[in-house]
Amino acid sequence: MQYVIPVIFIGVILIAAVRRVNVFSSFSRGAGEAVKFVLNLMPLLACTFIMCELFERSHLSDALSRLLAPAFSLLGIPSELSKLILIKPFSGSGSLAYLTQIISEYGADSYIARCACVLYGSSETVFYISVVYFAKCANKRRLLPIVIILFATFISTIIACLLCRIM
Amino acid sequence: MNLIFTVIFVLSAAVLLFTAPADFLPALLDGGMNAAKTCLTLFCIYVVWMGLSAVAEDARLTEKAAKLLSKPCGKLFKTQSPAALENITMNVSCNLLGIGGAATPYGVKAIDALEKEGNEYAQNLLFIINATSIQLIPTTVIALRAAAGSLAPHDIALPSLIATAVSTFIGAALYMLINKFKFKAARRAKCST
Repeated sequence: MQYVIPVIFIGVILIAAVRRVNVFSSFSRGAGEAVKFVLNLMPLLACTFIMCELFERSHLSDALSRLLAPAFSLLGIPSELSKLILIKPFSGSGSLAYLTQIISEYGADSYIARCACVLYGSSETVFYISVVYFAKCANKRRLLPIVIILFATFISTIIACLLCRIM
Repeated sequence: MNLIFTVIFVLSAAVLLFTAPADFLPALLDGGMNAAKTCLTLFCIYVVWMGLSAVAEDARLTEKAAKLLSKPCGKLFKTQSPAALENITMNVSCNLLGIGGAATPYGVKAIDALEKEGNEYAQNLLFIINATSIQLIPTTVIALRAAAGSLAPHDIALPSLIATAVSTFIGAALYMLINKFKFKAARRAKCST
């Protein structure tokens, strides 16, 4: 797998050079687009991260996960994972920190830790992505797709916990 | 986003007011700091990938890749815009290859191209596909497990793959289904009037 990325870079640049493209100026044009892109994103990301930080610091996320734990265990999801499931849509770094904590607490090969790993690998930080993707759109209210994504992720969570039991 | 932001902000702030009022401002500032850090990381990733993609574009490589996949993608996303199609196909292929960093700029460009077309359906579908993350190999998690002394750090790869495939499929199918119902209802409403 580690060969894929260097091979792509070498291939693209070689083909471009053969086709008489000015590689340096093309690359810097792309990099310039990246500057605009990130600047556009910055204020929106600041709002999202401030919200996530408050949500965590106020221990509202803890309270909510404790509230939901019985319902989760009914569906075959270990209650130890409810906080990870709740944090994941909001914060990538937060959930990564929590995942590391779970691994060191229960051991890398335990059922709980394996479940947590599958959960982490199979879901995304939905709110962050919605901000990035719809930054320039007139319509920023995308409730339906967000609800669908959270639902689909939740179903796959249940399946992931089941799979970890068998596999 | 407005509703979510307001509700979570006010609720969390109210709880902090009673439990730890001194933590309120530091929490906000930490959030801002996280945003700045993330932007810097993103900037590093995008400078590299958008630079490369500009080279690929000028060498007319993306055009070719898009042509291969444009027919099925055009049908799925109901779009005729060649710029959108090109970016959508690149986004999906980067996702499959597991280079999420490269996928995002293409995704954003595709969304912008679709905005010109007024195609909200395709925008949402692309968003759903990206947010349910098709990923072939979860590299971060495998590295973490190996570092923690796991005997078989790779054994979560297959369950992860199945789980992401399921979530992407459910998400996309559900959205298309709901959209179909909406379309039918709208047509029925038109017929009756």
